[in-house]
Amino acid sequence: MNNLPVLSYLDEFRASGPAGRLLDRLHRRPERPVRIMEVCGTHTMAISRHGIRQASPAWLRLISGPGCPVCVTSNYDIDSFIEMSLLPGVIAASFGDMLKVPGTRMGLGGARARGARVEIVYSTLDALRLARENPDCKVIFFGVGFETTAPTVAAAIAAARQSGASNFFVYSAHKLVPPALSALCRMPGLAVDAFLCPGHVSAIIGADPYRPLAERGIPCVISGFETVDILQSLNMILDQLDSGDCRVEVEYARGVRPGGNPAALEMMNSVFAPCDAGWRGLGTIPASGLTIREEFAAHDAARVFAVDASYSREPAGCICGAILTGQKIPPDCRRFARTCTPDHPVGPCMVSSEGTCAAYYQYEFQD
Amino acid sequence: MCLAVPAKIIETDGQQAIVEIGGLRKQASIVLLPEAVTGDYVLLHAGFAISMIDKKEALETLLLFEELAPPGGRPGLSGPGPEDGDLGLKETPAADDE
Repeated sequence: MNNLPVLSYLDEFRASGPAGRLLDRLHRRPERPVRIMEVCGTHTMAISRHGIRQASPAWLRLISGPGCPVCVTSNYDIDSFIEMSLLPGVIAASFGDMLKVPGTRMGLGGARARGARVEIVYSTLDALRLARENPDCKVIFFGVGFETTAPTVAAAIAAARQSGASNFFVYSAHKLVPPALSALCRMPGLAVDAFLCPGHVSAIIGADPYRPLAERGIPCVISGFETVDILQSLNMILDQLDSGDCRVEVEYARGVRPGGNPAALEMMNSVFAPCDAGWRGLGTIPASGLTIREEFAAHDAARVFAVDASYSREPAGCICGAILTGQKIPPDCRRFARTCTPDHPVGPCMVSSEGTCAAYYQYEFQD
Repeated sequence: MCLAVPAKIIETDGQQAIVEIGGLRKQASIVLLPEAVTGDYVLLHAGFAISMIDKKEALETLLLFEELAPPGGRPGLSGPGPEDGDLGLKETPAADDE
C-alpha cells in the first residue's frame, strides 16, 4: 500500500466536479416516475442539507422512510423509560437525541425538571462508567438505535456482567432495519421502487439481509453519506431499474463488507434476541426489535423495574406515522412549521436532529 | 443516530485504542473490531470502531468519480491541488464532522 496516496476518507469525497457530472447523468436519464426511499436519518439530512432533492429531476421522488431511530421509538417505550427515570435512586442515561422527545405526559427534559437525574452520554461505555462511579445508584441506559448501535449496547451489557456492575441496566427499544423494510413493502398503497440502504447499519449486517427485497424486484443500493455517494447510488439504482436486473449493490464499499462485521453481529446476537417490536407509524412488526436474553436478565430494565405506561398515547394531530412510511411529506402536516417547530416540537420527526420534519424545516422550508 | 466518522488508530491496548479524528485524540473501544491495528482507518460510532475502512475500495470509488468528472475539470488523484472541489489527497487526518 506504500505507493497509494494518503486519504482522509472525507475531503476526497467532497469534490464538487464529480457531483456535477453525476447529477448530469441523472438529468440525462429518460423521464418516468420513480420513487426512491432512504431509510437512514443521516441520508435524510444529507439529501436536505445538500439540496439533492431540489437538484434532482422532477420525475425522481426522494422520500424518507423509517430511518431515524428516535422517530420510530413508540411513545410507550419513551413513557416507560421516563417512568423509570423518576424512580428513586435512578440515573437515567441516554443519547442526547432522546432528551427533547415529548412523551405522553412529559419528555426526559420534563422528567429532569421534576427531579429525575438524566445524564446525556456519548457512548454506552460512558453510561457504564456512570454506574461504576455511582455504586449507590441504579444507572438505566435507554437503548435506542438500529443495528449500528445495538452491538455497542450489547458490549456494555457484556462488560457490566463481566465486571460485576450489577447497578447497570438497559431498557432495550432497539429496532432492526430489514424487517421494517419488508413490512413497508407489504403496506397497501405504498409505492416504493427502490431503497437507498443505510451505510452504517450495513457495515454491521452486510448486504445479504436486503436480498429478499431485491428478489421482489426492488433495487437496494447501500450508500455512503457524501453528496457524491448519494448521487452515485441513485444512478446505480436507476441503472438497475433500466436493466430490470434488481439486486443488492454496495456503493459504500470502503466501509461495508458484503458479510458485515462478524464480531459485532456475534456480540449483538449473544446479548440480544429478536422480538416483536412496536414502531411509530408502522405498528408492531414481528422479529423487528431486540430484547435482552435471559442470560443477561439482571441487566434488563424492563424485567427489573416495574413501571406503568399504560396511559401512553401518540400526539394528537401529528402525522409522524405517515411521514415515517413515506406516505406524506412534512408540509402535508397542518402542524408543520405552525404549531410544530424545532423549538416547540410536537412529534419526534421534528425533535430529532435526523428527523424528516427537522430536515425539511431546516433546509427545505420557505416561509 | 447511525453517524460514524473515519478515525485513525494511533495505538491499541487490548480492547481499547487511542484514535485520531480531525487532529483530536480520544479513547475508543475496538471490542467490535478486534482485527484493528495501529495505522488502520476505521469507522467510529458512539465510541466504538465498527468497521475497517478499505483503502483500495475507497480509491476505486474515487477513481470512478474521477472518470465521471468533467473533461479538463478538476485535478485528479495524481495531481492534488489546493482549490475547493479537487480530489487533493492531503496528508491530514480525517476531519470530524458534526
